[in-house]
Amino acid sequence: MIYCSADGSFIMTHPGLPESWGLAILALMLLTLVWAVRAPLAASGMGRPVLRLPLIGNRVWAAGPGIRLALKLVTVSLFLLVIAAGLFGTPIPERNLASVLTWNLWWSGLVFSIFFLGSAWCAVCPWDALAQWLVRRKIGVRAEPNNSLNLRVPRGLRGVWPAMGLLVGLTWLELGLGITLDPYATALLALLIVVLATASLAVFRRKAFCRYFCPVGRTVGAYSQLAAVELRPIDADLCARCETLDCHHGNAIVEPCPTGLVMGRLQQNTYCTSCGNCAQSCPHGNIAWRLRPPGIEAEQGARPQWDEAVFMLALLALTALHGLSMMPFWEDWMRDLARVIGDSGRLPWSFSLGLLACLAAVAGVYALMAAATRRLTPSRLPFKRYLATFAFAALPLAFAYHMAHNLNHLVRESAGVSRVVQNPLGTSALPFSMAEKQIRHMNMLTWQDTIFALQAGLLVLGFLVAVRIVRQRGAALLEAERAGQGWRLFPMLLFAAGMSGFNLWLLMQPMLMRL
Amino acid sequence: MKHLIFLWLLVLLPCQFAGAHHVLGRPTYSLNEDSNTPPSMQVETQIGAYFVSYMAFPAFPKPNEAGRVSVYATRLDDGTPFEGEITFSVRDDGWLDNWHPSRKEVLGVQRPNDNTHRQGFIFKEEGDYIITAEFEAGGEPYLIDFPLRIGEPLSVGPLGIAVGVIAAILIGVNLVQKKRLPRAEKRSGRAGA
Repeated sequence: MIYCSADGSFIMTHPGLPESWGLAILALMLLTLVWAVRAPLAASGMGRPVLRLPLIGNRVWAAGPGIRLALKLVTVSLFLLVIAAGLFGTPIPERNLASVLTWNLWWSGLVFSIFFLGSAWCAVCPWDALAQWLVRRKIGVRAEPNNSLNLRVPRGLRGVWPAMGLLVGLTWLELGLGITLDPYATALLALLIVVLATASLAVFRRKAFCRYFCPVGRTVGAYSQLAAVELRPIDADLCARCETLDCHHGNAIVEPCPTGLVMGRLQQNTYCTSCGNCAQSCPHGNIAWRLRPPGIEAEQGARPQWDEAVFMLALLALTALHGLSMMPFWEDWMRDLARVIGDSGRLPWSFSLGLLACLAAVAGVYALMAAATRRLTPSRLPFKRYLATFAFAALPLAFAYHMAHNLNHLVRESAGVSRVVQNPLGTSALPFSMAEKQIRHMNMLTWQDTIFALQAGLLVLGFLVAVRIVRQRGAALLEAERAGQGWRLFPMLLFAAGMSGFNLWLLMQPMLMRL
Repeated sequence: MKHLIFLWLLVLLPCQFAGAHHVLGRPTYSLNEDSNTPPSMQVETQIGAYFVSYMAFPAFPKPNEAGRVSVYATRLDDGTPFEGEITFSVRDDGWLDNWHPSRKEVLGVQRPNDNTHRQGFIFKEEGDYIITAEFEAGGEPYLIDFPLRIGEPLSVGPLGIAVGVIAAILIGVNLVQKKRLPRAEKRSGRAGA
């Protein structure tokens, strides 16, 4: 759709959520907020049995490496095609498979796969597959560890700090430098990550890249705490009695857990890469996928960690920045800022400042609300514990907005992908004309009303889960002191409502078309 | 909570049919594939009081190949074409140039011909460049940067570097391990004895 702004310029934009939707969502958010403040806090649910839905089995993952290997071969082939298209294909982004497949389909679609499949992407990740084949030089069976130095990751790098730094860097490249519009740079980034994954596997123990460094893997890990599936023991007692811990150490044929997990003690999806080694190596066949209520882990099971809390808040800020930077007025802000600080070219300094301001604003408001919550509760618990505990509420807000935002890219910008598949290098192709852009814009994969309904539903669900997390986590935090009423958590509830409101406002704005 | 979710759904469902369609217009000016022009790269932007269309012919010029850039600037309020002079200059567009722009070289100063400012060029070296169009209107300076790629981007370079780095890492680790493993075996042998 061509948007004719008041000043007469023509910009390709996606329409925002209609006002009727916005008002309905706001009203419901207000109702929920009133309920959450007035209703007494239930006793902590930490000890309650989690609702277990029927097992969906472990046949695929435990049966052997065949199916996983086949899937890896597919992803590696596509990945190599992306590199070839990026390096040797046309620089026109909408005509090159490297940019279309990487940014329009994979990067936009990955976030949806997490809800339904958890961290399954990590199990077939081509970066790790290539690194594994290059370093370990065995396919499908356990390799001797002699090809790696097997060093411990330095203490300062343990935690998700390196991954967070790389995620901020990736966002800078994506939104600041516009790598999404540069197939060549996309291919370079892909190559760089393969080099990093290979170097990490050759130097460090297990899969340190997946555990500590990978920005995509850590994002998948954080979001998969809200996934509808989990890989867990079928019988927890059997794991408690287990003395061999094959899931952790591996066996003669199967590799050990790449991130060093012990299934009997596993409480959260964060570091599980869904590789299935545990399911394959367990002598009792006690590991399987199962369905669960999404959000249960963030509400109850996951342990608050300081570095993970900061990562979740960074995710919230970066998803908001994604939306913000695709608003038509963002360019005006950047131009104004560039004029003030004397920035030129692609305005890297202006964007860097905008990115830092976004991160600082979210972190600052969150810290303020956590401090206010602590003041309202008669607690002597350290402030840092409040910060780490309530950060889980940021997760559904970020996840819901991320999916709602990506729906626009997926549904409105993916039509005509078959043409790029037929000519992945874009040989002799010309840039989209305005007419082609319009045609593509009109050929959505589904009806516009369906997109609006899905976006609204996602925002609502995200807010509801965030409220539940604040109340559950709040109840658990206050249990040791004195179980309070919901009003004691009002600042954190306000934070969830404020961020949801901001995300809603972003969704209601027209959004610039990416390609 | 269940009641609340039910209430949400009840209110949200009718909203699905309330969304309006926004067909807000079509561009009246566009130099595209229908124009009598050779294949080109076209960029449109808005700056200050002007709407600017920029085209490069051909879309991806090669070294020592004649090309030209055309700029068509019209006022946003009444569509009047800009009739003053535009100065075209060029600078490198490397990674570091994003942070510290390199020295500019003036390509030429052009007056409009048929409302369009055209600047010819021939680049001797491949690479990424930024073409800058500068003009003054209403007492205010206008400065617009456009990217221009000359020649094919380096393709074997990064691939070669990646393969080289990976090979160096793997060979290095194997060499270290060849020394480490016998030592470790000796240590474990002594410990066993």
